[in-house]
Amino acid sequence: MRFVESMIKKSRLMSPWMIHFDCGSCNGCDIEVLACLTPLYDVERFGVVNTGNPKHADVLLVTGTVNHRNRHVLKQLYEQMPGPKAVVSIGACNLSGGVFKDSYNVLNGAHTVIPVDVFVPGCPPKPEAIIDGVITALGVLKAKMGMGPAPEPALMPGDADAAKPAAAFGES
Amino acid sequence: MLSILGALGGLILAPFAGGLLSGVDRRLTARLQSRAGPPLLQPFYDVLKLFGKEPKVTNAWLVFSAYVYLIASAFSLFIFFMGGDLLLLFFVLTIGAVFQVVGAICVPSPYSQVGAQRELLLMLAYEPILILVFVGFAMCTGSFMISDVFRLDSPLLLKMPLLFLALGYALTIKLRKSPFDISAGHHGHQELVRGVQTEYSGPYLALIEIGHWLDLVLILGLCALFWHTSGIGMCILVAASLFTEILIDNITARLTWQWMVQKQSLLAGMGFALVNLLWLYVA
Amino acid sequence: MLNFLVFCCIVLPFIAGLTLYRVPGDATRKILAPATVVVMAMAAIGLGANGPFHLEARNFLGLPLDAAFTFLDFILLVYILFLGWNLRSRLVMGMTVLQLAGLVYLKGVLTNQAAPVTGFAPDGLSLIMVIIISIVGGLITIYSLGYMDIHEEHLRLRASRQPRFFAIIFCFLGAMNGLVLCNNLAWMFFFWEVTTLCSFFLISHDRTETANANAFRALWMNVLGGLAFVSAMLFIQKSLGTLSTEIVLQKMAALDIKSTAMLMPFAFLCLAAFTKSAQVPFESWLCGAMVAPTPVSALLHSATMVKAGTYLLLRMAPAFAGTTMSTIVALFGAFTFVGTCMLAVSQSDAKKILAYSTIANLGLIIACVGINTAASMVAATMIIVYHSVSKGLLFMCVGSIEQRIGSRDIEDMRGLYSAMPRTATITAIGIFTMMLPPFGMLIGKWMAIEAIARATQAMTPILFFIALGSAFTVLFWARWAGILISSANLREYPVRGIHRPTVIFALRTLCGVALLFSFISPLVLKDFVGPSVSGVYARFNLRAEGFIPGANFTGAEGYSWIYLLFALLALGVWFAWRASRRVPEKAHSLPYFSGLAVKRDGKVGFNGPMNVFEPAHLSNCYPTQYFGEEKITRGIDVISTAFLIVLVGGLL
Repeated sequence: MRFVESMIKKSRLMSPWMIHFDCGSCNGCDIEVLACLTPLYDVERFGVVNTGNPKHADVLLVTGTVNHRNRHVLKQLYEQMPGPKAVVSIGACNLSGGVFKDSYNVLNGAHTVIPVDVFVPGCPPKPEAIIDGVITALGVLKAKMGMGPAPEPALMPGDADAAKPAAAFGES
Repeated sequence: MLSILGALGGLILAPFAGGLLSGVDRRLTARLQSRAGPPLLQPFYDVLKLFGKEPKVTNAWLVFSAYVYLIASAFSLFIFFMGGDLLLLFFVLTIGAVFQVVGAICVPSPYSQVGAQRELLLMLAYEPILILVFVGFAMCTGSFMISDVFRLDSPLLLKMPLLFLALGYALTIKLRKSPFDISAGHHGHQELVRGVQTEYSGPYLALIEIGHWLDLVLILGLCALFWHTSGIGMCILVAASLFTEILIDNITARLTWQWMVQKQSLLAGMGFALVNLLWLYVA
Repeated sequence: MLNFLVFCCIVLPFIAGLTLYRVPGDATRKILAPATVVVMAMAAIGLGANGPFHLEARNFLGLPLDAAFTFLDFILLVYILFLGWNLRSRLVMGMTVLQLAGLVYLKGVLTNQAAPVTGFAPDGLSLIMVIIISIVGGLITIYSLGYMDIHEEHLRLRASRQPRFFAIIFCFLGAMNGLVLCNNLAWMFFFWEVTTLCSFFLISHDRTETANANAFRALWMNVLGGLAFVSAMLFIQKSLGTLSTEIVLQKMAALDIKSTAMLMPFAFLCLAAFTKSAQVPFESWLCGAMVAPTPVSALLHSATMVKAGTYLLLRMAPAFAGTTMSTIVALFGAFTFVGTCMLAVSQSDAKKILAYSTIANLGLIIACVGINTAASMVAATMIIVYHSVSKGLLFMCVGSIEQRIGSRDIEDMRGLYSAMPRTATITAIGIFTMMLPPFGMLIGKWMAIEAIARATQAMTPILFFIALGSAFTVLFWARWAGILISSANLREYPVRGIHRPTVIFALRTLCGVALLFSFISPLVLKDFVGPSVSGVYARFNLRAEGFIPGANFTGAEGYSWIYLLFALLALGVWFAWRASRRVPEKAHSLPYFSGLAVKRDGKVGFNGPMNVFEPAHLSNCYPTQYFGEEKITRGIDVISTAFLIVLVGGLL
């Protein structure tokens, strides 16, 4: 039984199925997320499958500005994912609201709605950065299962100077 | 008694074979798309992971359906290894297929509903072909028993080449390979998510996945029956069938259901089967 | 003792019916009807346990039975003539006059000096039919007790018409029992006409305009069948000199070459059977019969009426074994099967789906009869038996559902599981007994395909039809079953409904019978169906080559095998059931609606503009553009008429 359990734990790290949710991004981040699936980056090497269905997914990749209308959607998608699960927040807008920060309808980042495990800054981030984010998310899962140390604490958008534009977290 | 033990052994090994074949499938598909692809054991990782996930379902019938699907698939494979009756095998296989659809329809989710309707059309497309192929077996061997196939001296492929082609059609449809992946395609999730499988999740999706492996083994086993006289021949047939399936999966686009049922299944599949049956009848 | 049992099966229902009619009142009905049903069922089981027998039955209470039947025959026909007069139908009157003329000629000239005929000579087939008629028919009667109360409440009748209703129902059951037990064709004809008349009364029971029109259609089609029956009797008496079924079969078996003149009466009998079994092109009367209260449909479709036609065919089939006519019958049946399965696919009215599926299954039975080997006869009998049980159950379920939700459209049954979980589950079980192994219907179909694959003539087209039809069958059953148990909650708990205890009792008992009967299918096969068929085919030394009892069950030790397999399957299903019960309440999650799912009043949907709740509207795919009634019925009717013309005309 313990063997099976340890196999299951290992398998979790080998098969992170993803769902990608766009909260209203300019599509820059989305294109980069989908670029990860192309032959050049081939994220399926790590067992990643783009399921498009929260009920099958382990990792939620979320992009774009979270606002008052779509936060319910984001929350429900997150809730419909069976645990254990991880959330990767991608791009400046999703991290903190980006250039739309402090707009009347914008919530400043996905982490205000759901617990985010990994932040991938950038406007947009490169596919390599996104893949790295997914792999880091697996590290978080691993730590949660007690199988290793937690990855370096990610830079929280709130940690930085709130006055600075979010784009500063990515590459310019 | 020995045959029962053998069949049980086969049944225990079958998921491993099926998972491995499915890994080969994913790897080959990746190579055909000039990607590296996942590790060969990826399907096993997937299924183990799914078993470890928290259950999340809309209603309890879904759970029931998932179990019945797996049990029916295992059962039909058991009948196959026992050398049992092809028609019984077919009907038991139908139980699984029907319950997968029932489980999908009993959830008020538009995606699984559409998937289920399409899955029913898939069944409409492959079931008559399978029955006719099995009748072809009966005409050659004099009975519907699989064990009787092994009493023949010459490979069935010589007598029923067109039925083999028809079976190929039926198998592509049953395995939901492109161009027949309208009910639950890996590639069509923008359109209908995972179709008939949308609402199965976690451990229950794992059951469905294992059932699918068993179906794969059963179907390739049926292909192998066409060259029962030599072990190498069986391997060749299995490898050729699998490779052709994967190739077709990768080079064709999805069809509409009208095309699938009318042109592909009724005209081509049933046509091949009927011509071959008439030929057997005359000869 | 035998006299008494036969009396209980045939005469007692008539007496009970008349009593119910003469002594109206709820109390009489609620006591007398169940009591009669119990006595009938016990008598039927007694007859079945006793096994095949011969009963001369020349006299009844001092009356010569032959003369009595002749007298009743004339009364009945004159009454139908009178009905035709009332309905202003020249068609019915003309055909009845022809029947009367034929009967006068038969009784007055042909059988005047003929040797007396054994009254009753039932074999296994007849006995299993009696059991099915008495048990399934009886349960439907008990169901009607509760159903008709609510039905009449809905109609707001001033005076209850239930006494008449139950009187006819009991006469119907008595007539069916008589029909399957009789050996004398003339007696059989009497019961045959009684079922025609009863179905006419029952279909028109609600006295609406459609009911009257559809009842009239049922009447003229069945009177046509009656005419064919009379002609067949005339020919048989003339060429073979007897009306005893047994002797007719023996004489026909002794013939090496069956001439046209010899086969002619059997072609007419087939025609009679096709009308009664509502085969295409006569399917419209059975589809129209749905206007009647649901217990009537249950009765017509399951144990009585339509089964009379197939019973007659099964009885007479050995007489034309091995002829081209037989092959045409098989092709005709297979064509009906595929045609009506296609029609059923495009329907969303539950009763219509059931009606077309009945016709389809009768077509399958007729295809088996046409194949005319012992193995195919076994298959046909199995399908008759199990179809009766399951179809009776399904009709009763639809009736209860309709009384509760006010609709019988299967689209309206979405979420029925929340409103009436038990009935929905029973209906789903009924559906599974129709379409999946290890239930009897599927065993029957399995044997049918095996039998047809062993036949030599026209096997390929028949199998093509059957393979295609089976696939359509799966399509329309599976989606209905899914709809019935659909629900957005993890579990549902039964609530008190509107239904009377009799209705609930009948539903549960018949559901139990359907399951139990399926699990004893090998026994039914071995003790009733097998001996009767192998008896017939050995005694008459016809083409029995395909038949080994249990050839379909993998050889001599097949019975134990099939039990092992089914026990394992049952164990698996039980395991699955338990697993589904164990899912914790917190595992519930709404279906995937792109993250917008909202549940309100048990319905899933989403919040639309202005935050207004929009329930999701789901629907099945009904390919009416390909299989709609208006698209293909005409084509099917034309082709089937062509088959009938070839069947009768080919002999001339």
